Amino acid sequence: MSVTKVLIANRGEIAVRVIRACRDMGIATVAVYSECDRAALHVRMADEAWPVGPNPPRESYLRIDTLIDVARKSGADAVHPGYGFLAENEDFARACRDAGLTFIGPSPEAIELMGSKTAARQAAIAAGVPVVPGTETPLDVEVSDAEVLRIAEGIGYPLMLKAVAGGGGKGMRMVSMPAELPGALRAARSEANSAFGDSAVYLERRILHPRHIEVQLLGDHHGTVVAFVERECSIQRRHQKVIEESPSLAVSPDLRRRITSAAVSVARQVGYTNAGTIECLLDEDGSFYFLEMNTRLQVEHPVTEMVSGVDLVHWQIRIARGERLTLDAEALLVPRGHAIECRIYAEDPDNNFLPSPGRIQKLRVPHGPGVRDDSGATEGLDVPIFYDPLISKLITWGDDRTQALARMRRALREYEVHGIKTTLPFFRWALDDPDFLAGRFDTTFIDRTLAARAGAPFDTASPDDETLAAIAAAVHQVLGGPTQARTGVAPAASAAPSRWRAQARAEALR
Amino acid sequence: MHYDVVIGERTRKVVVLRAGEAWRVTVDEAPYEVQATRVDGALLSLLVGQGGAAPSRSVPAVVIPGKVSGALGVHVNGRQLPVAISESGRSRRRGGAAANGIGPLRLTAPMPGKVVRVLVAPGDAVETGQGLVVVEAMKMENELRAAKAGRVVSVSVTEGQSVDAGAVLAVVE
Repeated sequence: MSVTKVLIANRGEIAVRVIRACRDMGIATVAVYSECDRAALHVRMADEAWPVGPNPPRESYLRIDTLIDVARKSGADAVHPGYGFLAENEDFARACRDAGLTFIGPSPEAIELMGSKTAARQAAIAAGVPVVPGTETPLDVEVSDAEVLRIAEGIGYPLMLKAVAGGGGKGMRMVSMPAELPGALRAARSEANSAFGDSAVYLERRILHPRHIEVQLLGDHHGTVVAFVERECSIQRRHQKVIEESPSLAVSPDLRRRITSAAVSVARQVGYTNAGTIECLLDEDGSFYFLEMNTRLQVEHPVTEMVSGVDLVHWQIRIARGERLTLDAEALLVPRGHAIECRIYAEDPDNNFLPSPGRIQKLRVPHGPGVRDDSGATEGLDVPIFYDPLISKLITWGDDRTQALARMRRALREYEVHGIKTTLPFFRWALDDPDFLAGRFDTTFIDRTLAARAGAPFDTASPDDETLAAIAAAVHQVLGGPTQARTGVAPAASAAPSRWRAQARAEALR
Repeated sequence: MHYDVVIGERTRKVVVLRAGEAWRVTVDEAPYEVQATRVDGALLSLLVGQGGAAPSRSVPAVVIPGKVSGALGVHVNGRQLPVAISESGRSRRRGGAAANGIGPLRLTAPMPGKVVRVLVAPGDAVETGQGLVVVEAMKMENELRAAKAGRVVSVSVTEGQSVDAGAVLAVVE
């Protein structure tokens, strides 16, 4: 399978991430863009960029026919789907295969199988991996409320209602007593239907204080499957992760061995190839349950890269080419240091993490030892309202968790995004929270935090901040506000190119 | 210059006086010595000394003009504070205040945008505060004004042109 020119069927930071891996390997890249993404970072970084339609995803990034057509026209021989959009759409993977394109991901059959949460549960059971007690078959629309109530009694409350086709927290409802079930069932079905076009749901017992632990896998086409050190992803809001780290404080080397070998068994059971992730719930008593498999590269893959030294996208491409995995499976289970990721979203943590799209007026990105910023954002451009409001993933690495945390705290302090609200104030708070620092958390951490704070803002100015702001505002006015730039000032590094141009223009006019 | 600076519920009286290369700033009677260097249209590098101490505390501040004259978004210490500033004893003046600059003054774009109108031509005499160029950014038109009276030496942009933050728009001497 040849991979010499890759069409990246995605946008934002993940498109940039894939372009970087391709460039490292000397592979040409083709970006695609909707109307509002014309000047986006991924467009500017790729070798080629092709329009795929208007802003709504259904009219652009989700158009399989257009994407295949662009691949043909551009001469791409492979497609990387990123995450989200069409990454877990078996029809897209199949359309790529039918068009003679190498799909950099699992087979359409594996995507289809693991995309059904109930089929995935059955695969896990067949592999001898424990699953959260629940229904083994989907509850179709024909199943009556009375029947669902009867099934629920058998599983026990509290329980979770989940969309069979689900993901990203959509079509998911917690039910703590029978009276809530009919309403939650209607809501979950309707949400699942509008999000995935499939209203089937299933029931699962709710583990009260679980940690969300997941295992990154790579599988080649020669029967080798390797697992990486687990990722801890318990810090979530609306069932979406915001902080991830690796390794987890809650996983001993013995548990790591059991959980990773369970993950490998599930992947082998379904003949899985390329990158994938097995998500598990870890109960307080140390027992773990298979939750689902994500048949794609994950948002949080960089924490695994930092503690393993392995470039996962690089390996996705090599596997797609048919190469053999040559990674040392034993060595991969020994973490090299510790890594943490904070997802910088255009969301207002002081307003229940409501999306806050808009223009990034100024952007200052942290650097220095152990810091990695995977971003798709650009100063002067909008965070569009049409897509996921992720601006950047900030990842820090250290010899141990303490150093990784210290570097994260430093990097968060350096990070400035002006013009829109972001999750940065929440992270600055979290990195000083004793429970977070001690690793005392589970998936309810953010909900409990927000309830306990009762509306107290994460972003609060001290009297000292206010005095400095008053000084800055007054000096800004005296200096002539934005209308006056003093001459003889060293240009800021980020502004250097435009200042050279400005200088050239000024000199040309003399 | 005397300013009323409103942050949250509170109004602070701020006085800024030239003190050699630096500024003497008093905030509600508390004195500060401040060295200020503008890095670009939004970023100020401040060195602040309180109550007679040497101006050595490094405070980078980003100041972004809001929609209303005198409304500023000020970012210090990783905090974002909405600030309303006006000269004491006056209603809010339109436009940015002028400094008593010496030598040619370069009018630069405070943010990326599109030039929608050029109001002057080389050779024109301009008054302090007179509009020179209108730049559209964030769906708003921002009239950029002369920081001092003088003569327009050059205009570096044309209507319809897109400009980067920090791009020189015109020079006044």
